[in-house]
Amino acid sequence: MSNATTINPFATQHSLVREPALEPILKTENLWKVYRTGKLDVPALRGVNMEVSPGAFVSIMGPSGCGKSTMLHIIGGLAQATRGRVLLDGNDLTTMSDSARTLLRRHKVGFVFQKFNLLPTLDARHNIALAQHIHGDGFDPHRFEVVVRLLGLGERLDHKPSELSGGEQQRVAIARAIITEPKILLADEPTGNLDSASSENVLNMLRQLNQQFGQTIVMITHNPEAAAYGDRVIHMRDGQIVDAIGNS
Amino acid sequence: MIEHIIVRNVLHRPVRTLITVIAVAVEVMLVITVVGLTTGLLTESAKRVEGVGADIMVQPPSASIFMAFSGAPMPIQIGQKLQSLPYVQAVAPVLLQFNSVNGLDIVYGIDPPSFRAVSGGFVFHEGRDLRDPDDILVDDVYAKAKNVHVGQTLHILEHDFHIVGIVEHGKGARLFVLMPTLQEMSGAHDKASVFYVKCDRSDHTPAVIDEIQELLPRYEVRPLKDFISLMTSSNLPGLGAFINVMISIAVAIGFLVIFLSMYTTVIERTREIGVLKSLGASKAYIVQIVLSETTLLCLLGLVSGIVLSFVMRALLLRLFPSLTILIGPTWILRAGVIAILGGLLGAAYPAWLASRRDPVEALAYE
Repeated sequence: MSNATTINPFATQHSLVREPALEPILKTENLWKVYRTGKLDVPALRGVNMEVSPGAFVSIMGPSGCGKSTMLHIIGGLAQATRGRVLLDGNDLTTMSDSARTLLRRHKVGFVFQKFNLLPTLDARHNIALAQHIHGDGFDPHRFEVVVRLLGLGERLDHKPSELSGGEQQRVAIARAIITEPKILLADEPTGNLDSASSENVLNMLRQLNQQFGQTIVMITHNPEAAAYGDRVIHMRDGQIVDAIGNS
Repeated sequence: MIEHIIVRNVLHRPVRTLITVIAVAVEVMLVITVVGLTTGLLTESAKRVEGVGADIMVQPPSASIFMAFSGAPMPIQIGQKLQSLPYVQAVAPVLLQFNSVNGLDIVYGIDPPSFRAVSGGFVFHEGRDLRDPDDILVDDVYAKAKNVHVGQTLHILEHDFHIVGIVEHGKGARLFVLMPTLQEMSGAHDKASVFYVKCDRSDHTPAVIDEIQELLPRYEVRPLKDFISLMTSSNLPGLGAFINVMISIAVAIGFLVIFLSMYTTVIERTREIGVLKSLGASKAYIVQIVLSETTLLCLLGLVSGIVLSFVMRALLLRLFPSLTILIGPTWILRAGVIAILGGLLGAAYPAWLASRRDPVEALAYE
């Protein structure tokens, strides 16, 4: 699916915005990442060119070590590219300082990880609210309520991660990722640690976020069934894109 | 929100928290108790000297106000010269001897009539005044602390004394013997360590001091009115250094424990730091979390340390009733500042380390 317009996810009455999608929200140009191990240069990405339109749901598939996680880290501003350009919502990540990329992550990127990565000392409520706090707008009870209801977490908010199932933890992680209305949601094997029922539930959530609220999503997976939830599937091998299926 | 994270972190590892808090508490207690003990000893000692009731104290040239550290080089005949000065009502020569058996005490060798003339005499709880060479008077605090009574033998200064009286405390020393006995024992025949001078009126004190300084140039002549204010650690050679060393040890304990505690915390929470970074937390935000947690631990340690100080004081006073330990707000405040600054210093490197973590590596940390 490629939406021609972007709907601000979970928009409140005053922030519901529709605007034409003229530019890709994410664009990589000849993206290289080379790791140095001892005296050996090991390229993880070798000239990746990719565009993601606003409101798209893109799945990236490939075998282990093909560079898909590296790419996710770079387009999310967690790591620096060795060469090439990454444009996220018009910002060139490759020329940004570490603190500028931190700001960009805070305001424009949401991450969902395979291992959920919730803070074990905090309950679900505070894990979600943490993102709002770091974002800097303070606690927004209306938005919190909407997100919690959407992800079906109302009954589990006072539970710590250790008291939640894998599927519930991942839903909390998704809630945390979207509570700040990011421009793009980056999911790194979000069903990798889940059973099939929970996986389906999480993937349906992501699809709902994309289709109903226009949330741009880039998801990494090596599961073809999971990848099929995206409206475009990109295949990577040896640090390069070798195939792309679906709408661009 | 940060407060919530910090509290949850502190509660997450209760044993680590407890040990850290105890270490900071010991640090605080050490500072408060050492200072309280030295200040208490000095103040109590000064009050006792003031309690003699004299107006002026005359000591040999370059003598310390801490009389226990002074010798006995003054001829006893100086007393007669002092007595002949105008406005002088009475002069009491005193020979001092430092006793370190069963505690640290100053023994006063006195001439009962002149000492009585200056001090107004002892208030006797039991017994009688000094009469025979082996007689000794002890004050009530000493008697209670050592559980001694009239009629018992007291072995001090390599000599067996016979306790003949128990007197009210506050007359310079806790132990009093006849001056000739002490002179004989210390080989200081016809010598005195200090002369207490009583003026006929206290407003004549400056005039008498001037007279004495003219009579005995270079001798230390001090009005006793301001004696307490002179009895500070800075006036006692080595005491200030001793206090500083003790404080440094206390700070080192706090620093090392906080460093170790926060370092292991930061390592343990590497993945969480990666998560915070992925959410867009700045370096300052992560440093703030680490330092705030440290501050909370230090504050808990500070409160525990203050409580522990009072418990320690009660314990010490039970064991050593003659001690005086002054715990005042100034040094409680200083101990708090020392503990928190030491803690923050100890947490500075772990906080810096946490803020510098590579987010990708941190997220991959197992």
